[in-house]
Amino acid sequence: MVNDAARNVLPEVPDGEDPHVSLPDWLTEAHRYLADGPGEGRTEPLSGAIGGRHYEAHARLSADGDVAWWLIDATDRRLAEETLRSEQERAAILTEVSSTLLSSLNVPRNMEATVRMATRHLADAALLVAPGQGRRFPLTYAHVGGPVTQVTRAIDPNTLPGLAEALQGFPPVPTRWINPDDIPSWAIPEGFEGPVGSVIVTPLPGHGVPAGALILLRSSTERAFTESEDVFARMFAARAGAALSAARLYTEQATITATLMQELLPPQLGSLHGVEYAGSYRPAQDHERIGGDFYDVHAGADPSQESLVVLGDVAGKGLDAAVLTGKIRNTLHALLPLAGDHQQVLNLLNAALLTSRHTRFATLVLASARRRAGRVRLRLTSAGHPAPLIVRADGRVEECGTRGTLVGAMPAVSVQSVETDLAPGETCLLYTDGITEARGGPLGGELYGVERLKRALAECVGMPAEAVVEHVQMLAAQWLGQGRHDDMAVVAVSAPRTGPPTGLDGHAHDEGPGDPEPPGGPAGTRERNGRTA
Amino acid sequence: MTTPSPEFGLDITHASDVLVIEVVGDLDYETSDELLDTVVDHLAPDTALRRLRLDFRRLTWIDSLGLSTLLMVHRHTSAAGLTLELDNRPGFLDRMLDLTGTLDHFTATATAEGDPTGTGAGTGTGTG
Repeated sequence: MVNDAARNVLPEVPDGEDPHVSLPDWLTEAHRYLADGPGEGRTEPLSGAIGGRHYEAHARLSADGDVAWWLIDATDRRLAEETLRSEQERAAILTEVSSTLLSSLNVPRNMEATVRMATRHLADAALLVAPGQGRRFPLTYAHVGGPVTQVTRAIDPNTLPGLAEALQGFPPVPTRWINPDDIPSWAIPEGFEGPVGSVIVTPLPGHGVPAGALILLRSSTERAFTESEDVFARMFAARAGAALSAARLYTEQATITATLMQELLPPQLGSLHGVEYAGSYRPAQDHERIGGDFYDVHAGADPSQESLVVLGDVAGKGLDAAVLTGKIRNTLHALLPLAGDHQQVLNLLNAALLTSRHTRFATLVLASARRRAGRVRLRLTSAGHPAPLIVRADGRVEECGTRGTLVGAMPAVSVQSVETDLAPGETCLLYTDGITEARGGPLGGELYGVERLKRALAECVGMPAEAVVEHVQMLAAQWLGQGRHDDMAVVAVSAPRTGPPTGLDGHAHDEGPGDPEPPGGPAGTRERNGRTA
Repeated sequence: MTTPSPEFGLDITHASDVLVIEVVGDLDYETSDELLDTVVDHLAPDTALRRLRLDFRRLTWIDSLGLSTLLMVHRHTSAAGLTLELDNRPGFLDRMLDLTGTLDHFTATATAEGDPTGTGAGTGTGTG
């Protein structure tokens, strides 16, 4: 039996005994379940479609076994619920986009993840066009059920409507303006089934610069993109674009840092003209920051010429410090012909570094070394830097008497050089204050200090340069424990203990009588005062 | 750290012709810009100042950038014709000034450094 209200909803139901035949299946089934079943009333409302609208059905069992069905039109509520669910799904997708992409700063991987998520949630196929160089663009393709492929290809963005604009960051062309037949073949992933039915081209907006464009395709057998999907695709692209440009900026910065680091990496040292050199550099734990310590060894033209060792420390960290370090190393390289006069080299360096813009300075030690009669003759000059330490054969550790002003911040440089000899097995250690200012120790927070360094060096008598450097770095590292530290650089210059002077200087005699002793005696030091301004 | 450094701060006392800035805490990579900015701010509009006294009684540490900043402060005070005084220097500051050969520079008369780039170039002693 059908009342008038129900008649409006179900016009086709005949007024007969068995209306089941023309009732919607879901209602018929529910009725059968109630009538023939165990008779337990179902508490949840049933629901289903009737003639394009949605109804909830509530059953009421009467005493005589009949069932009265109440039908309630729930179309609007259902629409609202669907919209809500769809919005929730979209919010979840956007969250997924951000969390997936922001967890990585790898640009190719992020582009891959972007197209993969686009094909999972938005389209049958996706193509990400990254900003190119000239006419060549990195392209990332994906389609449902296919692999992600990345190629760099010469394409003409003007052949795809809206792409050239999207790549420049202009607002996207409405989807309905793009004719799917205009899609060039390069924009369709290999293996994509069927003709293209619907297209979205949307920019990937970055931090002030476009991060590329995203092209979404649906095959003609699928439904076309709706306006709301178009809007959502733009929201998706905005999230992806922000993450991609963050990754791209980071990558650029990392590349710059790596390039600079490559240029600033300390050189490999070894034996040179009968003198042993060893160096070690432990950068501060602050990985993104390029440190301010550096060292170089410039070989003399031949064994009779001095080699120049430079160890320095630039004030500050980061790019500024890196630029200044590069400037100092290049300038000193150019000044090598004048290395016979440390004072002059430092004066010229100081003049080259001075600028009215800042007072960023460097402290450094110059050491000119030359093998002579089995010993190593050293000229040492400190420009505001901790004085080199010399480990003598008898275990004494001497602090060199050289001192001077820092370079790069004051109008003039004034230094006192020191000359000394290293007997076989003796070592001169140049170090930066990262070693002596290492904070740690048993109580924590205590400076390593020069005295501890001297005691450590006293244990290094007779050790080769390499071993001395390793010993010092190891002790400093132990002192630090887990503590943070600044850059630590160490260079050791040693007179080899045994063996001929590697046959390089052409003299068969060690300690030969023909070799004039320098003034001041073989192991004595001669101070030289040079002061300007 | 056995004793954490006090938080960085600048205590400023402005008398008629002398500006006293007491530097509290660590003068380093993170904090030294604040000192320079403070000095520059006070120098710019006011030429009545004759002396700048930096009081280091409560200075706990200084790094190379802190020293660089002191050199920049000196450059500004010299250009403005002020005398710069570094007062109550702790031992570590004295040792740093001594090691880097900057103490004489700071204590030299204010007019000694007029043009920071003009002098000192290529004047080696020529001894060999």
